[in-house]
Amino acid sequence: MNQGRLLTFPAVPWKFESVENGNNSRVLLELYDREQTPLKRYLAMLGVDPETARDVVQESFLKLHEHLLGGGDQGNLRAWLYRVVHNNARNRQTSFGARNTGRIDDLPPSANPVARDESPEQKLLGQEREMRMRQAMDQLSDAQRACLVLRTQGLKYREIAASLDLSVSTVGENVQRGLERLREML
Amino acid sequence: MKCQLLTFDLLVRAMDHELSPAEMEWVPAHIAGCSECSHERESIANVSQNIETVVNSAPVIEYPGDRAQWVVVKPIRHAPDRVMRRFGWGMAIAATLAIGIIIAPKPRTLPAERRPITEQPLAAVSNAIEVDGETFVALPYSNPDLPTSAPRIVQMQVPVSSLADIGLGLEQVTSEVSNQDRTVLADVLLGADGQPLGVHVVSWD
Repeated sequence: MNQGRLLTFPAVPWKFESVENGNNSRVLLELYDREQTPLKRYLAMLGVDPETARDVVQESFLKLHEHLLGGGDQGNLRAWLYRVVHNNARNRQTSFGARNTGRIDDLPPSANPVARDESPEQKLLGQEREMRMRQAMDQLSDAQRACLVLRTQGLKYREIAASLDLSVSTVGENVQRGLERLREML
Repeated sequence: MKCQLLTFDLLVRAMDHELSPAEMEWVPAHIAGCSECSHERESIANVSQNIETVVNSAPVIEYPGDRAQWVVVKPIRHAPDRVMRRFGWGMAIAATLAIGIIIAPKPRTLPAERRPITEQPLAAVSNAIEVDGETFVALPYSNPDLPTSAPRIVQMQVPVSSLADIGLGLEQVTSEVSNQDRTVLADVLLGADGQPLGVHVVSWD
């Protein structure tokens, strides 16, 4: 039985104690190693092209460096980082999604290594399922898609709320409505 | 949702560990015992996993230099306000002392190259003494604390070799015959104790 991977998300203790110890360079690097790929994926799911996403992420880590230098709030750096990435990308594009750079279903097929053990039929079915999901996600509102993607990255509702400047209850509504719509479409 | 007790909202929040303490007391137990809710949870979990598959397949670009930029970044210091709060007074006193040491007058030897006096204005010498508009080169080992309010200035012939000893080179360095016996006319500033404080060469032939 599929228990759902969302149930097993590790409760990552995003409390960067080493920041308190002044070892900020190491924290910056740890955060980069852990978050730069999820951040780029998040932007890709918002319709940002990979090259722009790379630039946005690099810029955002520079801002994080300055933020730490300036003694900024270190309470939840991951949520802070997602908010900066989101705003930086929004500044480059008037609106996210298919209208600007491309649709999610234009993304290349998954290169998931698990697929190597699958039969050609299973692989084809998996690719079709993935394509249908991409098309369905394209139909969601920007806020619903952003909330669902951040949820997939393991962020708590309060972290998503901080990242997107929404209330926690609004995040909950977006997650639920997004999931309902996806289930209906699929 | 077919179950009349649990809403879709509660089910999703239960999956995301977002229930309130009051909800935690009954929702998980209900889901575990309700076949309809368990079925719904499985359905939502499948959708969630499909979303995750799509997200994880999103293309990303990463150049080797991207990470290196953060490897070489300089250590970040504490915030200035925090540093000032901890060490503010100590730092201020240390800075004041450092500035005082830097700007305090101190003996300075003249450049090693021996230049004619006409190319070496005495006013430019940092350890000069100004008395009645006349500039004297301070002699080493003289007591700078002695008053110069009632100075005496005596004009005398001073050996060039003596001037060279205090850093006033009046002769080009040469391997030829030395001029140890040569003298120049100079004003010598005498302090209150009668000891010479400074010298001012008046003429150079």
